Amino acid sequence: MNCSFTEKISSLIDGELSATDAREVERHLLDCNDCRQVRADFLNLRSQITGFETSLAPAVQNRALKKILATPRRTPARGFAWSFGTSAVAFATLLLVAAIIGLLMYKSSNTHTNDQHLAVQTPTPVPTGSVQQKQSEPEASPAPNKGNEQTAPRRSPSPAPKKQPLVREPKPGEQFASIPSTPEPVRSADSQTMTALHFEKAETLLVSFRNVRLNEPGMTAEVAYERKRAQQLVLQNMMLRREAEVTGDVQISSLLENLEPILIDISNLPDKPDKDAVRVIRERVERKNIVPLLRVNSTALARALD
Amino acid sequence: MASEDEEFTMLFQDFYPSLCRFLECLLGGRAPLAQDLAQESFLQLHRTAWGTMPVDEARFWLYRVARNMAINEFRKSHTRYRLFDRVVETMRPRARNPEQEYETQERKNLVLEMLQTLPEDQRTALLLREQEQLSYREIGQVLNVSESKVKVDIFRARASLRERWARISHVNPVNHVNPV
Repeated sequence: MNCSFTEKISSLIDGELSATDAREVERHLLDCNDCRQVRADFLNLRSQITGFETSLAPAVQNRALKKILATPRRTPARGFAWSFGTSAVAFATLLLVAAIIGLLMYKSSNTHTNDQHLAVQTPTPVPTGSVQQKQSEPEASPAPNKGNEQTAPRRSPSPAPKKQPLVREPKPGEQFASIPSTPEPVRSADSQTMTALHFEKAETLLVSFRNVRLNEPGMTAEVAYERKRAQQLVLQNMMLRREAEVTGDVQISSLLENLEPILIDISNLPDKPDKDAVRVIRERVERKNIVPLLRVNSTALARALD
Repeated sequence: MASEDEEFTMLFQDFYPSLCRFLECLLGGRAPLAQDLAQESFLQLHRTAWGTMPVDEARFWLYRVARNMAINEFRKSHTRYRLFDRVVETMRPRARNPEQEYETQERKNLVLEMLQTLPEDQRTALLLREQEQLSYREIGQVLNVSESKVKVDIFRARASLRERWARISHVNPVNHVNPV
């Protein structure tokens, strides 16, 4: 395939060449055996690929359609119902109640046996002020070892009575392993809230951008304002998209993926933007139908969070 | 609502088989999984986005979502062979003529095998062009890339497959299929 026309042959069989180019390639084909062979091979490949038949039973198709139509529309698509199911929610609630009861019982028993706990003191510093209050001899604590150096900056120096249940009696040699050293992962509800807010902001931005008056003298200032807002949203969009991709939320990641280049384009507009540049972005927004999608998804997410 | 459901049913009947075929080729076989993903794509469309976009746009939306699902599937089980798929394939009722069925299956396997040698973006672009007959501009919309990239990807995919096809035909003339 050394002929310079081979790439054009691919476009020719797809009907993607202009009339002039198509005529030129057709003329070339009359003289070039290699290119004729390439065209024949490309068409052969096409027939192989289009001839591929999927084994789909009509019953399967009908069953799928019934299942889809039976699903209520515009319900939260990615809430608990979709990812976990009702039974999972019930189970989680049960666990939560059990945890609260256990915590209360532990707290109550801890109050009764507080003196016993304090009697067992290790030479390492105690992380919370609740225990320090009862410590009479601060010199009993030697210089902190490496384990404590890592965990100490994470804790607040002021007493935190609410953390009391987390402070349990350390085993010999154990350096407060019960206190989590890493922050808790962001919960899905938080992530959904952030995504919903992001969608709302993006929707407002795109609507405002659509309404910028191109022929008015204040256009530059209006675009500059929208550009600044877009710049603020780009980074968050990237973060949320990556998170949605990791969690496998295809719908949200797809929408964020579509939104991202638009936000970037608005962010990269020059100080005195050309009207055509603004118009092109607007057309893309319209073509992708992104504003209604943002509205639908932010509403769905908000309902899921209610 | 009824008319919307009717419209959705028409779209489903028109495009569900195509979407299954597209996914099956994209995934390198695994028809049951392809059908599941196609169903999930339609389900998402029906639940959230149906009625908010024109039908043509809904079609692109479906291919976009389906492709993303397939990519997720690659990531999840790239090298894992699903026993369930294998069992379903084995248990599937066959056509009456075993020879014809064998030949069809061989040809399918060959096409799938060759398609799997392409990078994912080239494979998707080529499938959308050949099977779904989308224009370069429409493929660009689905994949969120420029038309020129679509053009280059399709050409490279064809050139690569042509070369491979020639090699297979040379090594094993039985596999050679004459142009239609």
